[in-house]
Amino acid sequence: MLRDLLYRGRAVFQRKVLEDDLDAELQFHLDRLTEQHVRAGKAPGEARRLSTIALGGVAQIKEQCRESWGVSWIHALARDLGCAWVRLRRYPRSAAMIVGSLALGIGMSVAMFSLVDAVLLRPLPFPDQDSIYVIQKADPRAGAHVEELAYPELVDLQESIPGFEHVAVTPTSLYGYARVLETATAEPVQLEAAPVSHDFFRVLGVTPRLGRGFTDSDERVGAPPVVVISDRTWREHLGADPGIIGRTVRLNGQGHTVIGVMASGVEFPRGAALWVPLGIEQGVVERRGATFLQAVARAKPGYSRQQVDRDVSALFTRLAVDYPEAYSSSQRGVVTALVNYWTGSARIHLWIVLGASLLLLTASAVSSGGLLLSRAVSRRSEIATHLALGAPPRRIFMQMAAEGAVAGGIAAIAGLGIAYLVIHSLVKWSPADIPRLSEASLDLNSFCFAAGAAAFVAVVCSLAPGWAVSRMRLESAIREGDPRSSVSQRANRARDLFVLAQSAVTFVLLATAVLLVLSYRSVAFVDTGLANRDALTLDVTLRGPGLFPAQGFNRVTRHAFYSRLLQRLREEPGVTSAGAILLRPLAGPIGWDIPYEFEFEAGSRDGKQRPKANYEVVTADYFETVGSPLLQGRDFDSRDSEEAEPVAIISETLAEQVRSAGHTPLGHRIQVGIGGRGWRRIVGISGDARYRSGTHSGAHIFLPILQANQPTRHVVIRGPRPRQELSALVQRVVREIDPSQNAGDPLTIGELIDRDTARHRFNVILLLWFGACAVFLAVTAVYSVIAETMAARRTEVAIKSALGAQRNRVVRDLVVRTIRFAVFGLAVGTVAVSVFGTLSLDVFRGTSAQEPIVLISVAAFLFVVSLGAAVWPAWHATRDSRRTLLRES
Amino acid sequence: MKGDLLSGIDLPQGTLDLLILKTLNLEPQHGWGISERIRQISREVLQVQQGSLYPALHRLERRGWIRATWGVSDNNRRAKYYELTPAGRSQLEDASASWRKLSAAVQIILDTA
Repeated sequence: MLRDLLYRGRAVFQRKVLEDDLDAELQFHLDRLTEQHVRAGKAPGEARRLSTIALGGVAQIKEQCRESWGVSWIHALARDLGCAWVRLRRYPRSAAMIVGSLALGIGMSVAMFSLVDAVLLRPLPFPDQDSIYVIQKADPRAGAHVEELAYPELVDLQESIPGFEHVAVTPTSLYGYARVLETATAEPVQLEAAPVSHDFFRVLGVTPRLGRGFTDSDERVGAPPVVVISDRTWREHLGADPGIIGRTVRLNGQGHTVIGVMASGVEFPRGAALWVPLGIEQGVVERRGATFLQAVARAKPGYSRQQVDRDVSALFTRLAVDYPEAYSSSQRGVVTALVNYWTGSARIHLWIVLGASLLLLTASAVSSGGLLLSRAVSRRSEIATHLALGAPPRRIFMQMAAEGAVAGGIAAIAGLGIAYLVIHSLVKWSPADIPRLSEASLDLNSFCFAAGAAAFVAVVCSLAPGWAVSRMRLESAIREGDPRSSVSQRANRARDLFVLAQSAVTFVLLATAVLLVLSYRSVAFVDTGLANRDALTLDVTLRGPGLFPAQGFNRVTRHAFYSRLLQRLREEPGVTSAGAILLRPLAGPIGWDIPYEFEFEAGSRDGKQRPKANYEVVTADYFETVGSPLLQGRDFDSRDSEEAEPVAIISETLAEQVRSAGHTPLGHRIQVGIGGRGWRRIVGISGDARYRSGTHSGAHIFLPILQANQPTRHVVIRGPRPRQELSALVQRVVREIDPSQNAGDPLTIGELIDRDTARHRFNVILLLWFGACAVFLAVTAVYSVIAETMAARRTEVAIKSALGAQRNRVVRDLVVRTIRFAVFGLAVGTVAVSVFGTLSLDVFRGTSAQEPIVLISVAAFLFVVSLGAAVWPAWHATRDSRRTLLRES
Repeated sequence: MKGDLLSGIDLPQGTLDLLILKTLNLEPQHGWGISERIRQISREVLQVQQGSLYPALHRLERRGWIRATWGVSDNNRRAKYYELTPAGRSQLEDASASWRKLSAAVQIILDTA
């Protein structure tokens, strides 16, 4: 087998040597034959003649030998491809159109495939990733999508579910856990830190590249502080020092021993730059009420997803019975495969984009197939001549296929170039919150995909024209120019189908893009309730030793720091207002959810059954700074001290609940949390604003800084000065007050809103781009169909014109058929989109009412565009048809 | 390539291959030599049509049953010599065995029927 391949390889690549050998071999034979005849007494000339006859035709023998080499098909193929290349170059304009549209489709789909591959398909750096699950809770009755776990539930999961090999916990979100790393050489930096229980790395199945992971002794209450750092942190901030293990680094002012450097690529939870042990605080390890965690678990081999779901939900139901004071009876477990947790909602967006790019690929295939068909039809007399001279239809078919393959091959290469550029720019402009998108690159997978796409397109392109032409009947083909011949009929039918398919696909793409734009508009231009897009927010979490950065500060020291900071900021020139809040708006989907109860409904619901609202702690002037209006009542001020009456500001949604119960919200009382500080007087009502995400308004309760247990963490500041100056100003003042503190992560309210809608915007831009490409392809296709028709029916048109037919009448006759099929295509597309629309995907939210209008407008637009593309060449060609064409024919 | 014989007998498919392999089993030989040897040994009954010899030789070489080297012929000229490879030798054994079986079977039918 191998020898056979080697032999054939030689036949292909060392053809010259083989041919020379063959010549020499046959010459030797001839000479010996001649000698024999001479010996037998023949004259030399006669001897040569006889021996040539005895051997047989040399050319024929050689050809048979070449067949024996088993590579004749390769040479036939090379010849076909060469001819195809020549033919393509003979009609450079339509060849450029074919290759261009194919390259566009291939390039776009390869680029999208690369993105999808990087984000969704490429495995995470965790071995056997499919057996890792993220476990959270939900409480549908309280309206909570995500309920967090407490440390004791880790032990519950470990002890009562034998199917788990390892279980660990980590906070659901990393806000507030960032550590300031001080190194001897550089400025202190803020790094995301993830507190984890000691089996965390065993759950992920990863081992450090240096040193060790955590053990249970690292997690004992009061254990000496240790840290595992990520490969990136090690390289970027610690100089990739190989002797780092055992050294001490300062985090939030406290010395931590570095025990490990994690393998590269492991940055989970997302963005984590270092990991610290979680269970070192008494309050965390024992309290069931300290809910801020989620669990990750690795299932044993053979323990199925269904079993995990069943056992987890059974456990949480049982816990609710065992600890009625801690858990709501309607709580249930939510198990998410790690892979899905990792990519989150980016999944659906990427699949939509990939689907759209495949549609575009289809559109480009249809478009170039139509062009190839037109070329084949216009060359039909040439092909008929070939057939008449005895070329088998198979050969004609092969030639067509070769033409498609050459066009496809060039397009694949050009497409790869386009894909490279597109990936490059997408990675640059992509939303930061799609994980691993930045890792997207043209790789082998993408190339295989491109090759597959090119092959697919080449097949599509060559089959249809090949089919139409190889079935031509000779006589009718040679009677060229007769539009009523069977060939023209069949070819026209195929062309009509191409036009129909093209316009359907274009419609689907464009309509989807427009619907997405509308849905994006409804998300992006919604009133977020935060008018001051220019207000700057910074993370000024107070940091000290211990698991929780602010645990070293009490209410008094915290307040002292913040009131000094805010006062100094307000005194600075160019600062209009400044305030602080626990968690800035749109920081992420996770925040503090807290149960509440109004006075009018007091006692009607058990503590665990109460609805929940977003909980925030703010200082005076916060509302003014972010531009969230106070509809009624007053802002917090110096009156709201620790000793004064407890107060709260609620959002309009909550106030409406009070009003609908027949009470006046202002002055009414509310209880926040369970067993909190008792009743609070409502002193203000703020407008509804978006805090968790741009699409959900939700209810919010604000407490004054001095009356809350939680610290404020984000400073908001506004003024006419540029944001860089404001940011530097905050940083400077923070350092002046306390050199060990740090202000980081500056983002304006506008940037926070944009970031929240970034994925949506990303999709919209891509889809609009696809839609534009599709329209371009459709226009090209219709234009070229009409242009080819014109070329084929020149004589007919000329005669009609000469006989006095109105020019617009002639044009109408020419385009009406194509336009009719374009309209059929639009109808097909409308049906497709309507069916697709009923899937009512989340991303199309808020567009169903406008859908009919959108579909009609898109259809009308495409109709006008197709009409223009059809009429233009027809009108152009009939202009001087009368004289020139008749003279020609 | 088909016929293979001048004497009016149609050689069954693959017989030429067998004859070539058998000839080469004695010693390496060039194309001319092979055709001469077959003619002589078969007492001039089988005369290989010389043109069909070379495609067959090249096919056998591709299959790896024979190997070609350039050597010097008895009249001091460069000639392409073919020799049997181990694979060719076992192919020869197989083919001869089945040929014998076939011809014996045909013989039986001709004798009895």
